[in-house]
Amino acid sequence: MNIKNSDLKNTVQKKEIYRYLGYGANEPADAVRALADEVLSELLSVIKPKSIYRIYACGAYGSGVRVGDMDFKSSALAGNLAQCNKAALFAATLGLEADKLLQRYEIVNMAKASIAQACGAACIEAYCNLLQEQIRLAAQEAGGEPLYIRPRFSPGYGDLPLETQRDIFRALECTKRIGLTLTQSLLMYPTKSVTAFIGLTRNPQGCHVGKCKSCKKTDCEFRL
Amino acid sequence: MDKGFIDRIGKELLFFDGGMGTLLQERGLKTGEVPETWNILHPEVIRQIAREYLLAGSNVVSANTFGVNSFKCKNLEYGVDELVGAGVRLAREAIAQVSDECGSSAPRYCALDIGSLGKLLKPLGEISFDEAYNAFREVVIAGDRAGADLILIETVSDSYEIKAAVLAAKENSDLPVVVTMIFDEGGKLLTGGDVASATAMLEGLGVDAIGFNCGLGPEQMKTLMPQLTGCCSLPIVINPNAGLPVVVNGQTMYTVEPDEFAKSMRTLVEMGASAVGGCCGTTPKHIERVVRLCGDMQIKPVTDKNLTVVSSYNHAVYFTRKPLIIGERINPTGKSKFKQALRDHDMEYIYKEGLTQEEKGAHILDVNVGLPEIDEPALMQEAVTGIQAIIDLPLQIDTSDTVAMEKGLRYYNGKPMLNSVNGKKESMESVFPIAKKYGAVVVCLCLDEDGIPETVEGRLAVADKLVRTAAEYGIPKKNLVMDALVLTISTGQDNANITLETLRKIRYEMGLHTVLGVSNISFGLPERVNINTAFFTMAMNNGLSAGIVNPSSEPMMSAYYSFNALIGEDEQCMEYIESCAAGDAQAQTPKAAPKSGLSLEEAIIKGLSESAHQATVKLLEQNTDSLSIINDMLIPALDVVGKGFEEKKMFLPQLLMSADAAKASFEAIKTTLSRQGKSSESKGKIVIATVKGDIHDIGKNIVKTLLENYGFDMIDLGKDVDPELILKTVQENNIRLVGLSALMTTTVVNMEETIKLLRKNNADCRVMVGGAVLTQEYADMIGADFYSKDAMGSVRYANELHDRGEL
Repeated sequence: MNIKNSDLKNTVQKKEIYRYLGYGANEPADAVRALADEVLSELLSVIKPKSIYRIYACGAYGSGVRVGDMDFKSSALAGNLAQCNKAALFAATLGLEADKLLQRYEIVNMAKASIAQACGAACIEAYCNLLQEQIRLAAQEAGGEPLYIRPRFSPGYGDLPLETQRDIFRALECTKRIGLTLTQSLLMYPTKSVTAFIGLTRNPQGCHVGKCKSCKKTDCEFRL
Repeated sequence: MDKGFIDRIGKELLFFDGGMGTLLQERGLKTGEVPETWNILHPEVIRQIAREYLLAGSNVVSANTFGVNSFKCKNLEYGVDELVGAGVRLAREAIAQVSDECGSSAPRYCALDIGSLGKLLKPLGEISFDEAYNAFREVVIAGDRAGADLILIETVSDSYEIKAAVLAAKENSDLPVVVTMIFDEGGKLLTGGDVASATAMLEGLGVDAIGFNCGLGPEQMKTLMPQLTGCCSLPIVINPNAGLPVVVNGQTMYTVEPDEFAKSMRTLVEMGASAVGGCCGTTPKHIERVVRLCGDMQIKPVTDKNLTVVSSYNHAVYFTRKPLIIGERINPTGKSKFKQALRDHDMEYIYKEGLTQEEKGAHILDVNVGLPEIDEPALMQEAVTGIQAIIDLPLQIDTSDTVAMEKGLRYYNGKPMLNSVNGKKESMESVFPIAKKYGAVVVCLCLDEDGIPETVEGRLAVADKLVRTAAEYGIPKKNLVMDALVLTISTGQDNANITLETLRKIRYEMGLHTVLGVSNISFGLPERVNINTAFFTMAMNNGLSAGIVNPSSEPMMSAYYSFNALIGEDEQCMEYIESCAAGDAQAQTPKAAPKSGLSLEEAIIKGLSESAHQATVKLLEQNTDSLSIINDMLIPALDVVGKGFEEKKMFLPQLLMSADAAKASFEAIKTTLSRQGKSSESKGKIVIATVKGDIHDIGKNIVKTLLENYGFDMIDLGKDVDPELILKTVQENNIRLVGLSALMTTTVVNMEETIKLLRKNNADCRVMVGGAVLTQEYADMIGADFYSKDAMGSVRYANELHDRGEL
């Protein structure tokens, strides 16, 4: 997968960075915008993002879903993958450099640290968005028919337990391939990382992404 | 007596075995099943696979123990000892069978196979170096007992984890150790190291062979091979995958066929491999073809590259004709502020000194944290790991305390530099063994029981004694760097001449690299920088390999860059030109010219650190009382920002910019107070921590910064903190307020556990909680005293308690 940091630079949404910093619909002051530009470009100059994915046949059956030879009991995931006959498991990380930079900032400049945290979150999102398009294209080419993607679905969403991380790590060999590790409490190091299911469907409606509007937590501080 | 593995590796071509995983899957291993359990459940299958490799011509078969360790085997019904023992025994049995059937003329060895623990090590990760070491130790002891001939540490990609594994292997067995690492196509380990840095560390630790395995196919390894042969003085082992992985229907496939694979392996032997085999996707058939095609080959002789090198986790630094800068600032000698920072356990101060020197162009950082009244070994360990978490430069462990020395070297990630040993018998006897064990490049001072020799000949004699004695401990010349010693010219007008002549002879006649603490030359003289700069240039011209200097001194760095340009070690004078540009830029930045005339309040509200610092200095010069600066200006300004934040008129970055500005103001106040022999008043101690299992700590750190601004003393226990440690800290320090942070619903459970433990032990303290998933309801449910919905909430609560006299 050939996504360069310059591609990330072109797709990272500044608005997202500000949203993670709690700005909501407000515009940051010039000094903060300048600081954000500086931090983002430093982050992009040090990170080495890595990813891995595999595409499996999948079939949902109400209370769960079968992906390859693995079985996941989750009606929320089954709902997400209901119209899909293929699904990708994927993992992506910005790598340890992002964590290192964050630690440096925490020592010399807390404002920059908070911004780096937001930039990291926006970068891994942008990276995932670019990756999922590559996954879609690869699957489409292999299947010879147009395919659409469902919103990414990660362990911990809805009733899909965090324990699912173990299955994803095993299936994708995350540690060996991209240096991603799982803690005993099922969180990931490096910290700016994502694992997820991505449903692939022939149904064009399937790709509708409701983002915040489809979420039931209406009092969320980051809601758009 | 039969020749052992160690007698053959690097002298004759040896063949390792190939892949295991795919073969087991073909024989029915299911997804999710732990392959090593088959050592007990299906021993005949495991034995058979080893047999097939031996029959194909492998000289080394790996026991099926790759994934066995206490982290990965937590939920199995078999213990580490049992699985490792069974794995080694099966390989041994296969060797015995094949030797019976085919004769024992061919060498056949059983390797205890050790893979990664699958965990990231602290300081950036989850488990400590010691926990990693102990996990490996358990495997090594079991494998050695079961009769392994060598230890193969493979498919590893974190230099720190590798170091833990190698130390565990060498401290708990006498077996030869081979390490093969997984690099990406760019020649990088997943944790950022490169071929040169990993090789430097492993040679230093005294392993017996180094190489590549997994990750890449033979073609990609050919591309990386020159990097390894260029710096490696040990036998090289190459075990590639059968090409890069291709995923078909969710299954990973490797597509390089046996004949093609064998051809590539032949080239790799020609390039300098001493042993070859395969990894993922390779089969007994692959190995058989490799043996058939390469069996008659002679290996390239293994030669000593004779490099003097130190490394950090991610890069190597070589001693060459072009001198190096060793930053001298992390050292309390003669610095009262640094001493105070050490007493206060102010690690941030130390880290900032490191960051500044890195920015100013240092190549290596000297680390000295010695003070009579502190626990130097513990602090050395903390400083070394803490600095390495944020700074990429190699370190020079600088101490005369051998316990601190060993701590520094052991917990160092890479091949360290060590400062220092001297020609005294006692010094050599205590320093050389640990320098040897950890592969340090040692600074050798040319003095002994008779003091510092006054003549060139005298110093050379000590240098010679140091070289000879080091050799007795197995330390080669390349790992010694001689300090010719500098005495000030103010007490002896020939002192510079003696040093320079000694330097020249050591460098060009004895063939050793050299180092000097340059600025000692001018003690007792005015305008020292003039003398220092001239002497630095003269020393470099007389063979100085590395100067221990202050990289923030512009004249010194100018001399350095000019020298390199003049001796033709600066291509197109680029570094020189860049250093000039950096100097100009600095002179022009607005940072150097803060907006004057801003009041302290304005500076803090606008978040301008330099202006805040300047305004504070001005106020202090006008004899404004420091307490009134804090209470009448600083705190009210912070309140303005805090209120704006709570009303959503200002946002987090601004709040923190103001916090940083307030901090700069405090610095100025602290400096003045300490000059007057006073210290600032504390409003009370607060313990703060991210709870067990949770690794997100920026929120906690933000709260800590703000509370510090408001005059509270913070005891920060970090992230993933055990409830017991929190209780202990609370009890030992009579803490009245604890702040806990958790970001995940899954870790709020541990927040509740912590509160319960505090209550159960009747700790007389309040608990405030915060974090993304918490709500007032949740906080009430787990028994917290206060829920802080944002960073300012905790400030308000702590202030209230303080005002009521309850903190």
